[in-house]
Amino acid sequence: METLIFQGLVGLSVSMYLWLLAAGLTIVFGVLGVLNFAHGSLFMLGGYFTFTYYGLLGINFWLAIALSLLSVGVVGYFMERFFLRHIYHMDHAYQLLLTFGFILIFDDAVKMIWGGVAKIPPMPSFFEGTVSVVGRPFPVYNLFIIGTGLAVAIAIWQLFEKTWWGKMVRASASDREMASAIGVNIPTLFTGVFVFGAMLAALGGALGTPVRVVAPGIGAAMIIQAFIITVIGGLGNLKGAFVGAIIVGTLSAYGILLFPVFELFLIFLIMAVVLMVKPQGLFGGG
Amino acid sequence: MNAIIRTEKLGKYFGAMAAVHEVTLALQEGLFTSVIGPNGAGKTTLINLLSGFMLPDRGAIYFREKEITRLETDKRVKMGISRSFQVMNIFPRMTVFQNILLAVLSRLNKTSSAFSSLRSQKEAVGEAEKTLGEVWLQEKKDSPAGELSHGDQRLLELGIAVATNPQLCFLDEPSSGMNPIERIKVLELVKKLAAERNTTFIIVEHDMDIVFSLSDWIVVMNRGEVLAEGTPGDIRENQEVRDIYLGEEI
Amino acid sequence: MKTRLAILILVILLALLPAYAGKYAVYVVIHILLLSIFSLGFNLLFGYTGLLSFGQAGFYAVGAYGCAKILLAYPSLLVGIVGGVAITGVVSLALGYLCIRHTRIYFSMLTLSFGMMIFSLAWKWRDMTGGDDGLVGIPRAALEIPGLFKINMTPMENYYYVVLAFAILAIALFHRIVHSPMGLTLQGIRDSETRTACIGISVRKYRLIAFTIAGLYAGLAGAMLPPLESTVTPPLAHWSHSAEPVLATLLGGIYTFSGPIVGSVIFYLLKDIIVRFTEYWQICLGIIVVALVMGFRGGVVSIFLRKGGRP
Ligand SMILES: Nc1ncnc2c1ncn2[C@@H]1O[C@H](COP(=O)(O)OP(=O)(O)O)[C@@H](O)[C@H]1O
Ligand SMILES: [Mg+2]
Repeated sequence: METLIFQGLVGLSVSMYLWLLAAGLTIVFGVLGVLNFAHGSLFMLGGYFTFTYYGLLGINFWLAIALSLLSVGVVGYFMERFFLRHIYHMDHAYQLLLTFGFILIFDDAVKMIWGGVAKIPPMPSFFEGTVSVVGRPFPVYNLFIIGTGLAVAIAIWQLFEKTWWGKMVRASASDREMASAIGVNIPTLFTGVFVFGAMLAALGGALGTPVRVVAPGIGAAMIIQAFIITVIGGLGNLKGAFVGAIIVGTLSAYGILLFPVFELFLIFLIMAVVLMVKPQGLFGGG
Repeated sequence: MNAIIRTEKLGKYFGAMAAVHEVTLALQEGLFTSVIGPNGAGKTTLINLLSGFMLPDRGAIYFREKEITRLETDKRVKMGISRSFQVMNIFPRMTVFQNILLAVLSRLNKTSSAFSSLRSQKEAVGEAEKTLGEVWLQEKKDSPAGELSHGDQRLLELGIAVATNPQLCFLDEPSSGMNPIERIKVLELVKKLAAERNTTFIIVEHDMDIVFSLSDWIVVMNRGEVLAEGTPGDIRENQEVRDIYLGEEI
Repeated sequence: MKTRLAILILVILLALLPAYAGKYAVYVVIHILLLSIFSLGFNLLFGYTGLLSFGQAGFYAVGAYGCAKILLAYPSLLVGIVGGVAITGVVSLALGYLCIRHTRIYFSMLTLSFGMMIFSLAWKWRDMTGGDDGLVGIPRAALEIPGLFKINMTPMENYYYVVLAFAILAIALFHRIVHSPMGLTLQGIRDSETRTACIGISVRKYRLIAFTIAGLYAGLAGAMLPPLESTVTPPLAHWSHSAEPVLATLLGGIYTFSGPIVGSVIFYLLKDIIVRFTEYWQICLGIIVVALVMGFRGGVVSIFLRKGGRP
């Protein structure tokens, strides 16, 4: 029983990285209609930037995270402004091909810049230590991650429900022409949304830096997790992304206990079951 | 009673919006039937439901008294129901001839043949040539369908729909985007095909002159419901129908 | 007529290759042939059926590991290759059943995911796959039908002829398929799924057929690899390997029969040159993909579009 609760908490903290990742992917897809295959790579870049600013340059942890978000935001800006924007009118296949090309580029680029071996950055001292959960030591940092993930969930929800920008974004997601007719500048809005999505991914990567290794190839590993989440939750649905992230995160935490080798396989199995029983995902329409 | 297609309390809802609501109809074989109504009345949705393109939320559909409410589109086509689309839907990268040929191959159950050449499908090729002639597209048979003029693409879509040799065929605004003269020509062609091929056509059409002169039966829809149905004479006299077509001469 | 003559000359040149070219050239041509088969299968899905798969390397790996396991247990070249292909057929049918139920975007995402599932299996299922070391010491077993003939495969030239024969067979078969009623049906699905359904064709059934054939082609290419290299490793299943048929096909042209084959030649030679100068081959691959999509605005693709669906 204790193990169950403890591992559940571990799973919850994993879920939060996944949620940050899946949220960006979902928002970009929902508004722009583009499924960004390189989204996981932006997560990876967030990790590398934080490692550089905080681990190598010794910049204050919070500032380092902010700078990473900014840096990945700039990368996202270039992706959208100079590449994606020019092919929105084309078949989906070209958008997929383009972003797929970007995974290849980012994957090798980080190898060129940071080398092929995994980086293990230090933990900020104020996050070291543990609290006792069901009689076992649970890292404070993980609690911080859970808190942040939930805070971001609430913030996103507020953003889309309450703010003018959020309403505009929702309007353009449901009807581009209508939104443009009432004066929304669609191209700028799209760039903004893409950058926002990129920064969410980067936040996941940045927050993961102190506890997860940063290595080339995690971009692809992350995008697959994000895909599994969206298949389970339903593509383009934020609630689905949140629940999907929790399911996948929790399952991998328990799965690792039960079948250490085939933990990932277990998640694929769940995905396959969802595909067969409810092809549109748990929260998808239809 | 030999209704070729019949519905019972059919309903389709998009959120709070009733696109089709409580539609009970029995359309007779051999009657040239038009479905009319203002934009957003639910005409296209009704065709989508009858052709299996969408599944209804409520009610039932019977084709020759066999229930087909939730049957897949392709199976309905095999039973003899085909359709065209309001928004152009052809195979743009294939030639005009291939567009029709594919429909014929499907009717002859030849699509799973993976090792024979298209040319060796003599029966299908012959039939496709004939259908091309019926819709006046012989000369353009080798052009890519996507490069045809709008009017020709409409004709091609009609050709595809009839190439499956349907008993019942829905045409969703077959003359949209055409000028009045072309429109009459196309609708007269449909009427001719109905007689020659023994097909029952149910069309959606906005040109009231054509509707009233060519139809045997008219169904009027408004806000998802059937407001009235009857012969052109009946409909012309109907006050409710006159109200929704306020100002228009019918 | 002209094309026939050109093909005949090409086949003769290929058949005589070991006579006038060195070992390395033979080795390169084997790889090009494998990539061509791999890419053709990919393009049956992409160019002909409109489904973009990023996971074909998974099936390639199933073919390769399947063949390797068989050869290690029972050294007969034919059994190895045919067995590898058969296993791939089963796997692609099963995964295809899951992947084809969806829109095109979903499809791309599912293929990438399932491809990587195969990668992680290859990596983690040590007992079966040897983990990251892979399987080694795979024999290039003799081509043998007991009681009929037995041809020694130790010289690579001999194996080259086996690959060439399979490749010609696979390409000819492919030509048949895409010019058959079924080929036209797949193109119909590519052009408009809804129109295809509304002329009485089960879109799902044909997508699944296309998916399985593509898997079989990937499996065939994969199954012919272990006898050549004598080893198989997890990167064969990696998504970056799935990028190879994608790029080869884009380079050659997606709406043409021969595009993926021409593209495979260009791709392989390009790769061969680039890796001499830099270890960062993957970034070049990515830049080329991006450049092709951007530069051609739909690309190579639209150039070939003009010529219609014929080679
Ligand atoms: N897929 C859909 N999703 C949401 N609303 C739809 C959809 N299809 C149709 N509608 C709505 O249903 C109503 C009926 O539409 P439709 O059947 O196309 O009307 P008509 O063909 O008579 O113009 C319209 O208000 C339309 O906006
Ligand atoms: Mg309509």
